[in-house]
Amino acid sequence: MKFDVVVIGGGWAGRTVADRLAGAGLRVCVVSEGLSLAAVHDESPYSCLAGLQKKGVTVLRGDRALQGRADADKVTGLVTRNLGPDTMLEAGAFVLATGKFFSRGLLSDMNHIWEPVFGADVAYDADRTKWADPEFSSHQPFMDFGVRTDEAGHVLVSGRPVMNLYAAGEILAAGSKEFDTDSFIEEYEHRIG
Amino acid sequence: MQKEYDVIIIGGGITGAATLRDCALRGLSCLLVERGDICDGASGRNHGLLHSGARYAVTDREGAEECIRENRILRRIASNCVEPTEGLFISLPEDGLDYQANFIEKCREAGIEAEPIEPAEALRMEPAINPRIIGAVKVPDAAVDPFRLVDANILDARRHGADILKFTAVASLVKENGRVVGVRTSRGDVIRAKEVVLAAGIWTAGLAREAGVNIGMMPSKGSLIIFGHRVANHVINRCRKPANADILVPGDVVSVLGTTSDKVPIESCDDMHATPQEVELLLREGEQLVPSLAHTRIIRAYAGVRPLVVAEPAGDGRNVSRGIVLLDHETRDGVPGLITITGGKLTTARLMAEMATDLVCRKLGSTARCETATRCLPGSEGRKPGFMDPFNIRAAIGRHGEEVSRMDFDNGGEIVCECEHVTRAEIEYAVKEFGVRNVSDLRRHTRIGMGTCQGSFCIKKVAKVLAGELGVVPEGLVHDYLQERWKGMTPVLWGDTLREAEYMQKVNRDEI
Repeated sequence: MKFDVVVIGGGWAGRTVADRLAGAGLRVCVVSEGLSLAAVHDESPYSCLAGLQKKGVTVLRGDRALQGRADADKVTGLVTRNLGPDTMLEAGAFVLATGKFFSRGLLSDMNHIWEPVFGADVAYDADRTKWADPEFSSHQPFMDFGVRTDEAGHVLVSGRPVMNLYAAGEILAAGSKEFDTDSFIEEYEHRIG
Repeated sequence: MQKEYDVIIIGGGITGAATLRDCALRGLSCLLVERGDICDGASGRNHGLLHSGARYAVTDREGAEECIRENRILRRIASNCVEPTEGLFISLPEDGLDYQANFIEKCREAGIEAEPIEPAEALRMEPAINPRIIGAVKVPDAAVDPFRLVDANILDARRHGADILKFTAVASLVKENGRVVGVRTSRGDVIRAKEVVLAAGIWTAGLAREAGVNIGMMPSKGSLIIFGHRVANHVINRCRKPANADILVPGDVVSVLGTTSDKVPIESCDDMHATPQEVELLLREGEQLVPSLAHTRIIRAYAGVRPLVVAEPAGDGRNVSRGIVLLDHETRDGVPGLITITGGKLTTARLMAEMATDLVCRKLGSTARCETATRCLPGSEGRKPGFMDPFNIRAAIGRHGEEVSRMDFDNGGEIVCECEHVTRAEIEYAVKEFGVRNVSDLRRHTRIGMGTCQGSFCIKKVAKVLAGELGVVPEGLVHDYLQERWKGMTPVLWGDTLREAEYMQKVNRDEI
């Protein structure tokens, strides 16, 4: 299955990106496990996803991105739980919009935090005692943890930018760069002439 | 030489179990034979509804009177099996109010309390019912746990000397010189008795036929659906001529909707299941009672068979009498030693047992009196009526014991904390008795927010209720609670706890 962009995550960030890309005529696929915290404040994520489908976006509901496949400095495909290991989602670019901890965009154990799909570099404090502030109402350090990108918004894996992998929304570390939908669309239009 | 019993009872449902108990209490030596487990037939596949009789008041006065009498008896002798939920009969515009007027009159004639209630008041009592209602009537319906009720009868019977043979089918009735003298089991054993009582529900007909006795039975299938939520606290009925899917019964944490009523072939009775068509019908009608059933989680659908007895099989079974049928096969068919007790309802099973045992005693020349209407069943002795307390206050009783007498559940019975089942009445009590200042204080006196969700889902609700009690604004009441919880979470902040922490931060940001 080949798309222009695969967006991983159907929460607020992923939906916004997918909506704009589809509006510009790109072939977009959204993988949405349905764990979005957006439901807490927002209208039902499911009705929003239905709106995307009406715009021609392929939505894999209830599916989870398991593992990205990479080749040199590019992602070549994505394996999902429901499509199985033999069906790769292929695309020109991938946008990671899986959120932080609640939605399992980031996983953690006693001493580590990691991003499970691409093994992207995660910015966090190695000292677990510094993950939270003792005051509930203070700013919480773990809310700044997330994946790192370079200046252009490429997600870093083992310190190196992956040239077609971007991130959007809560999964980003403080100071990382959000996927720039406008320039991506501009570039795309330029390329297809 | 094997022992000869006074009575053998065939069938381990509520009728058989209650008859066994009655026989044992009257000093008869008795044995119950059941092919499967206790309560594995229709007794375990019904609504769990203790009828007030209101449902039958218009169509079957005698049945209604039996129900209200037995309803009052069971509340007393089986108080640990009966939850006094009370019932509401609601009228929708399409039902009109003429039926309701007649219904109330007929209930009162049958001795059933029937109190008309304004629609607004009914909706206050049960916010989940259809808001289109034009009228409601409160009646003394209740929820009964049929499994526990059968068990209680079995326990009492055994403690008074009765024997029970489970997982043993009766292959045939043993006849000598035209008289039934015992049973032959599927293992080939012959067990002798002076009288044999058939109490096997719909399976009675097959056993009787084999002994040369014909009982015209009409299996009437009833399908039901269990929802994974207690959507209402009263039994909810439709105030109209009895029809499909017009009763919703709360049972512990679930709700049971039913039933259908269809004549089915007797061969199908060993393998009853609810069909997709029945489920659709139940849901369509059930939504008229409680609209939210349309999107409440369904746990499962099941079906049972009413053992109705008819002279002329006809119709769907709903117009056939569901009254008690006691057959003395000596006078009816010239087959002494055999008695059938069938028909009836879960609610009237004790009465059925009394009638059957009276006949057995007459045959055996015993003058022992029936005591089952006054002697409490095991689990109910020494308890006040209504011991099985309303669902919403059980947790409070567990926490506070007799102190609950100081809590006004009538005016504050709604549950605020779902995990620990803390009601508004308990919050009011804690405020009054302990000088609670905020949610954190409240937690220590009620267990509010101490359950599995740790206040994630109820904390705003709790703050609002508490604010009402204290006469302050809710903002500011939660900080101490959240901070205390946070203190406990930070040392273990990874994995699912970290997931929860993110949720907690986002949900409560605006509160602090």
